[in-house]
Amino acid sequence: MELQKFTYDNKLSNMFLWATVIWGIVGMLVGLTAAFELIFPHMSGNIPWLVYSRLRPLHTNAAIFAFVGNGIFTAVYYSTPRLLKTPMYSKLLGNIHFWGWQLIIVSAALTLPFGFTQSKEYAELIWPIDVMVVLIWVVFGLNLIMTLVNRRVKHIYVTIWFYIATWVTIAVLYITNNLALPTSFTHSYPIYAGIQDALVQWWYGHNAVAFFLTTPVLGMMYYFIPKAANRPIYSYKLSIIHFWALIFLYIWAGPHHLLYSALPDWAQALGVVFSVMLIAPSWGGMINGLLTLRGAWDKVREDPVLKMFVVAVTAYGMATFEGPMLSLKTVNALSHFSDWTIAHVHIGTLGWNSMMNFGVIYWLVPRLFKTKLWSTKLANVHFWIATLGMLFFSIPLYFAGFTQALMWKQFTAEGFLAYPNFLETVTQILPMYYLRAFGGSLYIIGALMFVYNVVKTAKSGSFVRFETDEAPAKETPKAKEGWHRRLEGRPLQFTVAALVVILIGGLIEIVPMYLVKTNIPTITAVMPYTPLELEGRDIYIREGCYLCHSQMIRPFRSETERYGEYTKAGETVYDHPFLFGSKRTGPDLAREGVKTLPNYKPDLWHYNHMLNPQKVSPESIMPSYPWLAENEIDYSHVPGRINAMIKLGVPYVEGYADQAVADMNAQAGQIAAGLQANGVQVDKNKEIIALIAYLQRLGTDVYKNK
Amino acid sequence: MATDHTKNNHNEDYEIDTLTNDRLIKDHEYDGIRELDNDLPPWWKWLFYLCIAFAIVYMIRLWVFHSDDLIQNREYELAMASAAAAQPEKNNAAFEVRILTDPASLAAGKETWTKICSVCHLMDGGGLVGPNMTDNYWIHGNTVQDLYNTVTNGVIEKGMIPYKDQLSEQARLDVISYILVDLQGTTPAIPKAPQGTEY
Repeated sequence: MELQKFTYDNKLSNMFLWATVIWGIVGMLVGLTAAFELIFPHMSGNIPWLVYSRLRPLHTNAAIFAFVGNGIFTAVYYSTPRLLKTPMYSKLLGNIHFWGWQLIIVSAALTLPFGFTQSKEYAELIWPIDVMVVLIWVVFGLNLIMTLVNRRVKHIYVTIWFYIATWVTIAVLYITNNLALPTSFTHSYPIYAGIQDALVQWWYGHNAVAFFLTTPVLGMMYYFIPKAANRPIYSYKLSIIHFWALIFLYIWAGPHHLLYSALPDWAQALGVVFSVMLIAPSWGGMINGLLTLRGAWDKVREDPVLKMFVVAVTAYGMATFEGPMLSLKTVNALSHFSDWTIAHVHIGTLGWNSMMNFGVIYWLVPRLFKTKLWSTKLANVHFWIATLGMLFFSIPLYFAGFTQALMWKQFTAEGFLAYPNFLETVTQILPMYYLRAFGGSLYIIGALMFVYNVVKTAKSGSFVRFETDEAPAKETPKAKEGWHRRLEGRPLQFTVAALVVILIGGLIEIVPMYLVKTNIPTITAVMPYTPLELEGRDIYIREGCYLCHSQMIRPFRSETERYGEYTKAGETVYDHPFLFGSKRTGPDLAREGVKTLPNYKPDLWHYNHMLNPQKVSPESIMPSYPWLAENEIDYSHVPGRINAMIKLGVPYVEGYADQAVADMNAQAGQIAAGLQANGVQVDKNKEIIALIAYLQRLGTDVYKNK
Repeated sequence: MATDHTKNNHNEDYEIDTLTNDRLIKDHEYDGIRELDNDLPPWWKWLFYLCIAFAIVYMIRLWVFHSDDLIQNREYELAMASAAAAQPEKNNAAFEVRILTDPASLAAGKETWTKICSVCHLMDGGGLVGPNMTDNYWIHGNTVQDLYNTVTNGVIEKGMIPYKDQLSEQARLDVISYILVDLQGTTPAIPKAPQGTEY
């Protein structure tokens, strides 16, 4: 057999590696800032783009798409050519991918803090950036597929399976969830509304976790653990079963983010059972990773890379057991909207994703720079400090989650809510927020050690851009193969098979929500928002209010007593986008405008509270939004937005766009007059008037006749 | 699973991994990474079967038996009914409304004031959204019964919500006593201008 010589180009992998290092620190620092802002609400100094609710999406997007994303691409561009024994197909496509991805990240950083957002979690990026993401994703896919076509190895390894599944599924998810009608270059409304929008969003949101934070990272695990430990994979058979089971089952699990919401029972039930069934395939990945280390445990004791991998895979196992438990309705009734979710997520990100990135980079830098790790000792210190930081981050938040959720549900013997004032439940858990910030600080200190160590390592060697390798040309095997082995030899069919498998669950859950009327019973009292309320809603989105305030009252006595009648699907039909939220750092606002309910506050209260929450509640941890009383309402975009709503099926009368501004002025005038009568000097054209109009509308439609 | 490694049963077709004594699959080598021919761990298989069984039973309970705990409206109605049955009557007609002056009642009243009333009337009673409670001007009357009615039923058009479903009769009376005994006549930091009639 004649060996062919070829050359790997390490340049792209190296570029992605340093991008991972830089964005990792940036993403974590933004997260730490947000954590401190929850303790010191005035820390942002009234600078709009530093306020918690604008930084939080920047943190999540940076952590997911910049830190983990660049880490994945580092691994993909390093492992793919080596596993397929051919260079990546195109350096040009690779460069476009790299610079395009960094441009996307910079664009995100320049839009999210300034209030340009779609508000759907992890899909906040505005539509022009979405278009960029899709184009870059296509470039990446083309490069990957063409490399597969050029391969010298007949069969593709499990790492490549996971890369393929990642690529097709993210493409499907990202495009479907971001379908929107633009009203300007920076603003759009999603084509879905209310509960349908929520279902699509969490189908996406959950599977962003599955196919961006899990499958590509499993691909990394399957390459770098056997490489670093120099051990064979524990079980090929397990790889096959857990791979297909994982991608098939994962896609169904989205509705577990909407348990006890207005989503129909059948869809919730599917979310529950598919989440529970996911335990086994997830653990299949964990045991295949950990058992690959059999015979190498003595190395684990010394090698910080393997230690990182062990903690990563263990954290993966913990998070993927906890996730299904959180999907049980009885557990979810307690955990949802509380800090429990935040703790759970960070076991995944700080444990699984970050440790995996750290391990891969510690392993890769000495190889790319033909040298030894500058300090194994420092890497070991990083390992311990990161592990401790993760625990100091999560354990207090678990405690905070239980405590607060139990307080929300507590009744007195006389049948009244034991803690009617939401704020009481916040001040109770504030010490845990201090501990979380401490844990986060530890974690970042560890990450800085990591940066120092890898920079020192790189400086101690010199970059090896090209490496030559040799392999025989691809041959078609003569012996008869099993069906899966045949599929491994046909990457294009493999890709199509993965696509089919991931489409099933999504279609079965999402399509009936559109076709079957009974899933969203009509409520005739529910009317579209007035233009002023709609403007207020867009401001609510811009400021990120939904990140701390839910709008989804669950059918529990403890919630209907506190917030009013539970939310119905029919109430959300004009909500482009839905704003259910996923966390209650403050109280639910679904019925904020209903005057007979405990949460009701007059306009004057909202005005004072928005300008300075501590003026009315000294212990509040909500930041001030004083610019709302300074910024003028932008009337110019109103007709365009009304017309967009009409196109999306919201029943404003034909031609209403022409009248909208006049109606807005009238409604704003009334609210401003009410405030002025109470001695507030406020102009009716200020944004705060629109926001108050929106808040006072919330949840009132179904109460109109009561 | 009819994959090609099933033929590895023939001795000459596989190698042994010396550290674990497990079989390595022939021809499975990717950039130096080998794969072992291990079967699925039985406990893992059983875990998977168990989870699938759970799923089937769960869906049958929903679709065939329409179990109450899986249909959330029904679950809610049952929870509300059982709470209603377990609770004493919330608003007792025989409850006597009179000013309380004992320290325990006033302390309880202050606690309610701090947690709930201060949100609109401020901690020192000076008023912000709601009226000043330290001066001698009243919008809805100044007797203990007047205040009790206001707190119980609210003044909805002005933003004062009814507290009959949130505070027990005793808690309402405690906080009213706190207003009349302790807050009245004090000097708040920033008093709101008088509203209503002077008494």
